[in-house]
Amino acid sequence: MNYKVPEGYFEDLRAKLSAIPAQQPEKVSAVSRFTPYLALAACFAAAIIIGTGILTRTTTPAASEDEIIEYLVQSDLSLTQIENYLSLNE
Amino acid sequence: MDQKEKEFRSLVDRYSEPLYWHVRSLVGSHEDTDDLLQEIFLKAWQALPSFRGESAVFTWLWRIATNEALGFLRKQKVRSVLSFGRIDAEAERVAGNDPWFDGDAAQRKFAVALAKLPSKQKSVFCMRYFEELPYEKISEITGTSVGALKASYHMAAEKLKIFISEEN
Repeated sequence: MNYKVPEGYFEDLRAKLSAIPAQQPEKVSAVSRFTPYLALAACFAAAIIIGTGILTRTTTPAASEDEIIEYLVQSDLSLTQIENYLSLNE
Repeated sequence: MDQKEKEFRSLVDRYSEPLYWHVRSLVGSHEDTDDLLQEIFLKAWQALPSFRGESAVFTWLWRIATNEALGFLRKQKVRSVLSFGRIDAEAERVAGNDPWFDGDAAQRKFAVALAKLPSKQKSVFCMRYFEELPYEKISEITGTSVGALKASYHMAAEKLKIFISEEN
């Protein structure tokens, strides 16, 4: 085919193409790319573990209904107040 | 300069000019070829670490280049239909007005006729007719069987005769 190119084109082309590696950002490895996300996930995991530990130490297990009734009966509350409490929880 | 960059530079030195002519025969325009060469070598640079030499460097590069050129021609045809209502209008316009064309009127007609060929037929025709690649090599590049390539070449040659006679 009778195509032509500008004078000195192939020298310029070679120079332009040879510059491609220098124009590309350095390739980041998969591990370093995900490092910030891994750190964030580790922080969340640590917060959940520590929070669960603190809550376990500072809270008592939920009382059963019988225990509550027993407590109320033993308390200084009047029967009316106890009835009110029980009617609220029915 | 690291090893990868050295290998890349040797590819550029050895193949940039023949690849230019390969792509130019497919897309016609000098400017479009110049842009595509940038894309092709950028892809080659990015894919270089995964290139394991299972195919020859030549086959690998020609495959990247042919795919890029066919992708470009597909977009050109879509643009052409949207703008001109005809699939080949843009390619014909480019081939008919290329300032970097050095042939006579008959050769210009041939270039316009070539631009009208379906992209895959054109790529087979160009690799066989201009680059004189054996069918086996074209088969490695395109992933098409030799029999199908021979049929494509034959159909392309017949269509070119018809297009040129229509021009006359």
